[in-house]
Amino acid sequence: MNMIPLFVAVPLAGAFIIPMLSRKFKWFPDVLGNLVTLALVIMSFAVIGKSGVYSMGAWKAPIGIVMVLDGLSVLLLVSINVIAFASTLYSIKYMEQYTSKLRYYSLFLLMLAGMNGVVLSGDMFNLFVFLEIASVASYALVGFGCEHEELEASFKYLVLGTVASTFILLGIGMTYGSIGSLNMAQISEQISQNGMNNALLFAIALFIMGFGLKAALVPFHAWLPDAHPSAPAPISSMLSGVLIKALGIYTLVRFLFNVVGVDERLLMILMVLGALSMVIGVMLAFGQWDFKRLLAYHSISQVGYIILGIGLGTPLGILGGLFHLINHSAFKSLLFLNAGAVEYSTGTRDLQELGGIREKMPVTANTSLVASMSIAGIPPFNGFWSKLIIIIACVQAGRPVFAALAVFASILTLASFLKVQKYVFFEKLKEKWNDLREVPALMSLPMVLLALLCIVMGVLLLPIGNTGVLENINILEPAVKVIMDGTDYASKILGM
Amino acid sequence: MNLIIYSISLSIIAGIMCLFIPKRTRGVAETLGVIVSLVTFIMTIMMFGREFVSKWFLIDNLSRFVVMGIGMFGFLIVLYSLKYMQGRDRINEYYAYLLITIGASIGAVLSNHLILLLVFWGVLGLTLYMLVGIGGSDASSTAKKTFIIIGGSDVIMILGVAVTWVLGKTFIMSGIEVSVNSGMSMLAFICLAVAAFAKAGAMPLHSWIPDCAEKAPVSVTAFLPASLDKLVGIYFLGRISMKMFVLNKAMGQMLLIIGAITIVAAVMMALIQHDFKRLLGYHAVSQVGYMVLGIGTCSPIGIAGGLFHMLNNTIYKCCLFLGSGAVEKRTKTSDLDKLGGLARFMPVTFVTFVIAALSISGVPPFNGFVSKWMIYQGIVDLGRKGDKLWLVWMVAAMFGSALTLASFMKLIHAVFLGQREGGEKVKEVSSLMWIPMVVLAGLCMIFGVLAFTVPLEKFILPAVPGVSFTGLFSPSLVTLMIILGVILGLIIYMLSNFKNIREDSLPYIGGEELPVETRVTGVDFYRSIKDSKILGGIYRAADKKSFDIYDVAKRVLNYFIGMLKYLHSGLLSNYVIWVVAGILVLLIVLMKGSI
Repeated sequence: MNMIPLFVAVPLAGAFIIPMLSRKFKWFPDVLGNLVTLALVIMSFAVIGKSGVYSMGAWKAPIGIVMVLDGLSVLLLVSINVIAFASTLYSIKYMEQYTSKLRYYSLFLLMLAGMNGVVLSGDMFNLFVFLEIASVASYALVGFGCEHEELEASFKYLVLGTVASTFILLGIGMTYGSIGSLNMAQISEQISQNGMNNALLFAIALFIMGFGLKAALVPFHAWLPDAHPSAPAPISSMLSGVLIKALGIYTLVRFLFNVVGVDERLLMILMVLGALSMVIGVMLAFGQWDFKRLLAYHSISQVGYIILGIGLGTPLGILGGLFHLINHSAFKSLLFLNAGAVEYSTGTRDLQELGGIREKMPVTANTSLVASMSIAGIPPFNGFWSKLIIIIACVQAGRPVFAALAVFASILTLASFLKVQKYVFFEKLKEKWNDLREVPALMSLPMVLLALLCIVMGVLLLPIGNTGVLENINILEPAVKVIMDGTDYASKILGM
Repeated sequence: MNLIIYSISLSIIAGIMCLFIPKRTRGVAETLGVIVSLVTFIMTIMMFGREFVSKWFLIDNLSRFVVMGIGMFGFLIVLYSLKYMQGRDRINEYYAYLLITIGASIGAVLSNHLILLLVFWGVLGLTLYMLVGIGGSDASSTAKKTFIIIGGSDVIMILGVAVTWVLGKTFIMSGIEVSVNSGMSMLAFICLAVAAFAKAGAMPLHSWIPDCAEKAPVSVTAFLPASLDKLVGIYFLGRISMKMFVLNKAMGQMLLIIGAITIVAAVMMALIQHDFKRLLGYHAVSQVGYMVLGIGTCSPIGIAGGLFHMLNNTIYKCCLFLGSGAVEKRTKTSDLDKLGGLARFMPVTFVTFVIAALSISGVPPFNGFVSKWMIYQGIVDLGRKGDKLWLVWMVAAMFGSALTLASFMKLIHAVFLGQREGGEKVKEVSSLMWIPMVVLAGLCMIFGVLAFTVPLEKFILPAVPGVSFTGLFSPSLVTLMIILGVILGLIIYMLSNFKNIREDSLPYIGGEELPVETRVTGVDFYRSIKDSKILGGIYRAADKKSFDIYDVAKRVLNYFIGMLKYLHSGLLSNYVIWVVAGILVLLIVLMKGSI
């Protein structure tokens, strides 16, 4: 499996080549940026269904660095790289508003390399390094506009993000102190042999907080509503669509399920955090009038769904959670691109200032309708299926209260997206928008692609059938299996 | 099986095709609409008389007449829309959503798998949202409100399905039989019933219907809230309370209470409306009360009456809305204050409207009477079984019926009799618009006069086993008597010196003389009710939307959101404090018991 390191190497190389060559050719960043992400999409599709371990420089596990590809990583890789491709495609026209495309693409690819690295790392310290690469790049990208508001958001994000990173590092230190290894498989093996101790428990608490902050779980969410709206639209769509999942949810799930192994108490913590985020996030979103800020709060809420689903610990719940994860990356990225398109054409994100632009911008309007219906869980779009599975799984696991909370949050989500549709796209066209134009084709194309994904994913991955739901899904099933197998992870990795 | 798939997919695929027809191309969507809806109608007729059960679909006695109704209304509304929607924007989209709605409704009624049902059910909400939105920019708030209520209840339905699945251990509806006795089974039933209530428009989830009636295109109101949503919603209520769940007494009582309140409260609201369509909208809510009441009696005759009332209601309510659309098309207004005296200009609309109005008021020999009569018998049955409150339900039902008649008096006076402001002449609408109304009015008569031989025998009684009629009512005999009476009246009228009576067209106001310039519009009918002390207070509260679940929920929510927003002050130090507090709580939870 020599392809594994390429997921990190290709974007990393791209990030350094771009500033070197683009002084001469102005078109170079656009072309290379898109080629890199396209190549990554193809590569990530090529590894579907595969798994393997790659040791850097052929040094074996405890001494060398290993990269691990399994079902869960594949799922994340596919969604990260698909969204990245859509975002770079969109950036070609959109980023012309800003100066310095080469810095933008450099940082973008760095962030991408970091995310791919996180989901492929086989040991905690590398995971931390990649996590920091992605985070630092994202701090810079949030502040890319260099206006007052953007810099403030970036600063808040930086401070809270660093708090999280520090705690994670502290946790890693404590783990190393009590286990003597940082390889995830070996940590896991040690824990299953020697059991827990207080230092490890303390580290777990630190990890939950640190990764939870990256995933924007309530009460660690406060940076997100500032950071995500301030970034340029394609970056917002990367941040909300995949960054919080790769850096937050993936790490949390990988660590809790595969490394320490979950018990009743940890599952309960996950469920409570999930439910809190789900409900509080959506309630805060309800009162927003800034298009992107509203979307950002919804990210908190949707992450809550994912964590709640996975936290149930049942196959159906994990399936629902992971399904919602990839669905959310599709529709939330699309929504941010829509918001960007609206801002690109009108120059505002204030819902009350907009109105009736449906007739002027039909592509944006229709794709955003698809995305809104997806996030609101209206059939036949993809969000419906994953929410359905999560709610059914909650009831099946004997937790009807969480199911009821999911229902409540879903109703509010619908209400708040109907508000968006009404104020932005329906209503009466305001006079000042009379000569509004649809965005250029290069911006419409990624939106249409993602909208198609929202429609197709619901049907393609259609998980109805008997309760033997898992059979016909070839990307979700291995991921679910990885999580369900729990700490068997260790023996598999060490055996390879 | 193939027939089912064809009938569902044909209209859905045709609908999706309509979405991609270029805007400028005219006539294609219309042609496609007429052909597809006609073919679908024929297919639904062919389904009649068949039995079919599979994992996904089910045709049984209960679903097949509902499906036929959907096919018929689909075709009639497409026909009506040809003229009514002419010249509006977004025509192609309109036909697209109309066709998808037909397909999805058939799908919802024929599904035997709860998940499949959820999908069709949800699609129906989406198309309703889009269809209401076609009413123009004014309708966008209404569309939003409608979809929040409908879509919200869909999510609650998911919860219901989940609980039902856990209790019944299968998603196949024909294999589920849960008796309602535990908390979970009650939760399941209530969640599913909520979806049915929202779709059909029973209180407290009714508030979208009057708004919709006022703002959406009339053909949409006549199609969805007035007929299809009733058919689908009440069908589902019937299915869950007859076949899937064995109701206990408490659930029956809940249905009865909701039914009774819906009947009376909605009709009281209807009495005081100023807008033609909004008034009809409140009646659309009120009639649902009868169906819920009928099903809530849990006795075969009551349930049969409820289902028959569902069928009848769709017929006359659709006819009434189409009539209001015809009036609006010609006069460009639906304000009762500005209408009047249209009877002589629009005779066909007038006659069909009166027939439908008499039906909805439960006047024999029209169809509404028969079904209400059956519901009354169901309530009597309930009393015999020892329900002490049966008189309350009875009074509510009869009182509602009387008030319905009263409010239609007002409506007919205000629109067709009386005088009109300005009073210029208008023409009757085109035949494409009145044919559906005549067909529906004809059905009102047939279903009334031949109640036992046609609709009950063929549609209703096979669906509800064990119906026994306690009271005697022979519609044919009654019709004969009524016709005799009318002829007798005519003869007396002819013989007397009628020219003296019809000398002028001054309104007859209890014999009082009025100056010629004073118009009696009918808007002021029943104003004294609104001004009375106790009821007046309730009406004022209703004006402030205190009974609208949508507005109440919004207020409560905004209160909590205000608190949450207050916490998000934007101060970084506060946020760091949350993080630290969070980690402390985590530590306490994790370390508990281990130190």
